[in-house]
Amino acid sequence: MRKSKKSADAAARFETEPAEGPLLQVVDLHTHFHTGRGVARAVDGVTLSLERGQTLGVVGESGSGKTVLARSIMGLLPKSNVERTGSILFEGREIIDASNDELRALWGSQMSMVFQDPMTSLNPVMKIGNQITEMILQHLDVSKKYAGELALAQLKAVGIPEAERRLKEYPHQMSGGMRQRIMIAIAIACGPKLLFADEPTTALDVTVQAQILDLLEEQQRERFMAMILVTHDLGVVAGRADEIVVMYAGRIVEKAPTGLLFSDMRHPYTEALLRSIPKLSAPSHSLLQAIGGRPPDIVNPPTGCKFSPRCPYVHEKCTQEEPPLVDATSPDHQFRCWTPVGTPENRAALEANRAAGLESALAVVEDVLPAGVSTATETLPQVTTSHLRGGTINPKGSV
Amino acid sequence: MRMIFTKLVRLVVVLFVVTFLSFWFIKLIGGNNDLVAKMIPFASIEEKERVREEIGLNKPFFVQYRNWIGNFVTGDLGQIYTGSGANVASVPVSETIVKRLPVSLELMLYAQLLALAIAIPLGVFTAYRAGSKFDRGSNMAAFGLLALPQFVVALLLATYVGAKWQLLPTQANVDPFPLSPADNWQYMLMPIISLALAQIAIYTRLLRSDMIATLQEDFITTAKAKGIPAKRVLFRHALRPSSLTLLTVAGLNVGALIGGAVVIERIFQVPGIGGLLAASILSQQYLLTQSLVVLIAIFYILLNFFVDILYSVLDPRIRHARAVA
Amino acid sequence: MPAPSHNSGDDIVQSLVADKSHDSAVDEPMLYFAAVTDGPEIANIGKKRKGLGVGAWLSIIWLALLLTSSFAAPFLPIPDPINDVELPRSGGGKAVVIATPPSLDHLFGLDGSGHDVLSRVIWGARNSLLIGIVSVGLGLLVGGVLGNIAGYFKGKIGGFIGSVLDILLAFPQLILALFVVTVLGHTVANVTFALAIVSTPVLARIARASALSWSEREFVLAARAQGATHRRVIWREVLPNVLPAMFSIALLGIAVVIVAEAGLAIIGAGVKPEVVTWGNIIVGGQGELRGAAHIVLAPSLIIFLTVLSLNFLGDVVRARSDVRDSAL
Ligand SMILES: Nc1ncnc2c1ncn2[C@@H]1O[C@H](COP(=O)(O)OP(=O)(O)OP(=O)(O)O)[C@@H](O)[C@H]1O
Ligand code: SF4
Ligand SMILES: [Mg+2]
Repeated sequence: MRKSKKSADAAARFETEPAEGPLLQVVDLHTHFHTGRGVARAVDGVTLSLERGQTLGVVGESGSGKTVLARSIMGLLPKSNVERTGSILFEGREIIDASNDELRALWGSQMSMVFQDPMTSLNPVMKIGNQITEMILQHLDVSKKYAGELALAQLKAVGIPEAERRLKEYPHQMSGGMRQRIMIAIAIACGPKLLFADEPTTALDVTVQAQILDLLEEQQRERFMAMILVTHDLGVVAGRADEIVVMYAGRIVEKAPTGLLFSDMRHPYTEALLRSIPKLSAPSHSLLQAIGGRPPDIVNPPTGCKFSPRCPYVHEKCTQEEPPLVDATSPDHQFRCWTPVGTPENRAALEANRAAGLESALAVVEDVLPAGVSTATETLPQVTTSHLRGGTINPKGSV
Repeated sequence: MRMIFTKLVRLVVVLFVVTFLSFWFIKLIGGNNDLVAKMIPFASIEEKERVREEIGLNKPFFVQYRNWIGNFVTGDLGQIYTGSGANVASVPVSETIVKRLPVSLELMLYAQLLALAIAIPLGVFTAYRAGSKFDRGSNMAAFGLLALPQFVVALLLATYVGAKWQLLPTQANVDPFPLSPADNWQYMLMPIISLALAQIAIYTRLLRSDMIATLQEDFITTAKAKGIPAKRVLFRHALRPSSLTLLTVAGLNVGALIGGAVVIERIFQVPGIGGLLAASILSQQYLLTQSLVVLIAIFYILLNFFVDILYSVLDPRIRHARAVA
Repeated sequence: MPAPSHNSGDDIVQSLVADKSHDSAVDEPMLYFAAVTDGPEIANIGKKRKGLGVGAWLSIIWLALLLTSSFAAPFLPIPDPINDVELPRSGGGKAVVIATPPSLDHLFGLDGSGHDVLSRVIWGARNSLLIGIVSVGLGLLVGGVLGNIAGYFKGKIGGFIGSVLDILLAFPQLILALFVVTVLGHTVANVTFALAIVSTPVLARIARASALSWSEREFVLAARAQGATHRRVIWREVLPNVLPAMFSIALLGIAVVIVAEAGLAIIGAGVKPEVVTWGNIIVGGQGELRGAAHIVLAPSLIIFLTVLSLNFLGDVVRARSDVRDSAL
C-alpha cells in the first residue's frame, strides 16, 4: 500500500548492489536554462567526485550556480526549459536520465537536502511531526506509532528542547535556527548516504550559524554521511570540508583538498574570496560586494576567462582564450588560470595593470598578497572559524 | 474564546441593523395603508381594515418594529394574505418557507459539491501541468464557460435534455414537491448543472492561479526532496495553503445561491427561496419579502462566520495570529 | 510599503490575515473579476509579440458589428421586429407551423408570431446594449467617485462608504434590481436605473481597492509630501492609474449587465414584453423550446459571443495595464 506498484518498479533500478568506488561521481555536468534572453549556462561542465562520509565544500558568490549544481545532481530542477547533460553516478549507477518516479526512491532515503531559507522551506500548514513522519512512512516499512517515535528521536538528536511538544506545533511557532534544525532532522531522518546543505546558515543569525554548522558536522560524523556543503563563505568550509570546489559562472575554477587549497591557492578568484571573508561585525551578505565588479552574465559571458573583467592579473591572453582546468603540483589540485597566483608572471601582470591604472589591480592590498602565501593561509582560516564559533578556538581550524 | 465572543456581539449588532433597515425600507416603499391595499387589492374595505389591525399597521413605527422582532424570534414570521372581497385567507409565512428552504439548500449544496468536485482536481492538475496542452485547453474552455450565462446553459439543457430528448422533466412545479433528494433528483439535476457549470470555471481558474503560486514555494521543493509522491505533494502540501481564495468564493456563492438562484429556479420551476422572494416582490406581498430578506441576511452572516472559522482550520497561522490578537 | 523580509514570519501572518480574513463578503465582485481576468494565457491567444492578437481583433470586430448594426437597424433591409409578420401559407391540411426554423430567407427563422428573429435580435441589441452601457457608465461614474474617495481617504469617510457598500452587496443583486423595477415600473429607463444601482457598489469596491493600493505608492506619497492638495493628487496621480483598471472592469461589467437584463426578463421583472430586448426575445421563445428552439438559441448565441468578446477585451486591457497585481 505504502509503496505503489509504480514506484516499486522505479525502485527496482536502484536495487542492484551498489558498485565499488566513490559515492558520487559527476562528469561534465551541464545545466542550461532556456530563458527569454537566451541560454543561461548555470552549470557548465562540472566534474567532481565524493567518497562516502566525506565533505565537499562548494564555494562561490551569488549566482555562480551552486544551488543549480546541487539541484541538478539531485534531480530537483523544474522540468520546463531545462537541459541537463553529462553523467551523474550515484553509487555507480547513472541517475541523470532517471525519471522523477525513479528518483523518488532515492530522495529522502539515499540523498536529501537542507535548504537555504528555513523560514520558507517548511510547510506552514502542517505540523512538524507530520512533516517528519510522512517521510519516514514513505521510505521505511514501519508502523505509524514507530514513525512517531523515530521523529521524536530525530528532533532530540538535532537538539530541539521539549521535542514532544514541538512535534505538535507549526513552523511559524519557532525561531529560524530551530526551523533549520528541524529541516536537518527531516533531511537525515531516513539515514541518507548523501546530504546536500545549500547555504544552510545564510538566512540565520550569526550566533546561530556556527551551532547549525556544528550540528551538521556532528550528525554527519555519527551517521557516516557524505555531505556537499554549499556556501559563499570560504570561512565556513575551511574547517569543515575535506575538499573544496570553487565555482565561478557555472564552472569549477579551482578544486583542491582543503589544506592544499589554503596553502597553495592558485586561482585569483579563490584569492579574492579568501580576502573577502566577512569580518565579525559585517552582515552575512556583505562579502558579495567585497569583490569588485559584478558577477558575469551567464547568458552572455565574457569571452576568454570568465573572471577576466574583474581579475587584477588579467592580460591579453585571458580575454582571448579560456584557460583549461589543469593540475597543479598534485593531480587532486586543479585550477583554471593562465597566470596562477604566486607565479612571477602573475606578479608582472599585476604590476603592469597597476601601472595602467586598472581598478581591480589597484584594489589589491599588499599585505594579503601571496608574496607571503604561507603566512596568510596559516592564520586566516583560523581567524574566520573562530569568529563563527563565537570566539572559542577550534582545533580543526588549523586544517 | 474571546475572539468568538466579540464576533458574536458583532453578529448581533449587524443583525439588528439589517432587520431594522429592511423593516424600515419596506415600510417606506409600501406606505402604511398601501401595504395591505397592495397585498389584497380586491378585498373588501372591512377585510382590509381587519388585516391592518391584525398586522398592527395602525401602531407607531417603533412598536411595530419591536413586535415584529419579538414575533420573528419566536418563529412567527407573519402571514401571507390572499383572496378578494370578504374571502381573505392567510397562510403563515413560516409554513411556506419551511417548504421551500430545503429545496434551495439542496440546490445550492449539490451545485457547490459538483462544482468543487470537478474544479479542485482540475485546478490542481492544470497548475501542476501549467503551460501544457491540457492546461491551455482547459483554460480556454473555462474562459468560454465564464461567458456562458447560466440561463443559456439552463435553456440549452431544457431544450435538448428536457424538451427534445425528453430525458428529464423540465417543469418541476409538482405539488407537493418531493423534498427528499432520492425522489426529486430528476427535477434537480438540470438546475444543479446549470448553476455549477460557470462555477467550475471560476473555481478552476482561481485555484489554478493560487496553486501555481504555491508550487513555486520552497516548502514544495522540500516535500519533493523528501521523496513523497507527486499526488501527495499536490494534495497534502500544496492544496491547503492554496485554497483560501477558493473557500472565500465558494462561501460567497453559497450565500448568493440561497436567494439568488432566481433565474434558474424560474426556468425549471423549482420551488426554492429565490423564486419565492421574486414572487413576493412581484405580487407585492411585502411582509413575506421582509421575512425572506432578513432570513437571507442571517444566513449570509452566519455563513461568513463559518467561513472565517474555516480559514483558521485551514491555516494555523491565522488561528494563532487571532488567538494572540 | 515595507519590503518583505524573509526572517519575519509575522509579516507573512499579518498580510495573510489582512488579505483573507476580513469580512469575506467584501471581495465577491473582485474575485469574480479576478477569475475572469486570470493569467496571461487568454489575452495572448493568437498574439504574436506586440499588437493586439487575433482574439482581441475578433472581439473588436464582433462588438463593432453589433454596435453598427444596432445603430443602423432602422435603415437595414430587415423586417420590422414588431409590425412585420410573416404567416406561412397553410399547405394541404397539415398543421401550420408559424415559428419556422432558420432558412435562407430568415437566417434565424421566425418566432411564434411570425416575426423575423434576426431582425428582433438586431433591434434587441439596441436596447440590451443601451441598458448595459448606460447602466455601467452610470455605475462607473458614481461608483468610481465613491470608490476613489473611500480608497484615498482611508479614515472615517472611507470606512463609512465601505460599510454602506458592504450592506448593498449583501443583498442578492438580481433581487435588488427586481425590487427597484417592480417599484418604479417596467420601462427601459427604469431597468437601466435598477441595474446601475446594482452595479454601483460593485464598481465602487473595485475602484476603492485600486485607489487604496495606488495611494500607497511612493510617487503618490511623494506628491503628498510635497504639499499637493488632495484634489490634485487624486486627479493627477491616483485617477490616471485607477482608470485602466476601471475600464477593464467596465467591459466585464457591461457583459454582466447584459446577462442580468435577460435574467430580469426571465423572472418577469424586465422591460415590458412589447419592447424588444434580448431578454424578452428569450422569454417569448421559452414556451416553444420543443418545436422552435431557435427562437431562444439565436439570442442566446449572440449574448454568448458578446459576453465572450467583452470578457476577452477586458482581459486584454487588464493584461496591458497589469491592473490585477495592483488592484486585485
Ligand atoms: N529556473 C531558472 N531559470 C533560469 N535561470 C536560472 C534558473 N535557476 C537559476 N538560474 C540562474 O542560474 C544562475 C545560478 O543560480 P544559483 O541559484 O545556482 O546561484 P547560487 O550560486 O546558488 O547563488 P546564491 O548564493 O544567491 O544562492 C543564476 O544566474 C540564476 O539566475
Ligand atoms: S589571470 Fe587571466 S586567466 Fe587567470 S583568472 Fe585572471 S583573467 Fe582569468
Ligand atoms: Mg543558492
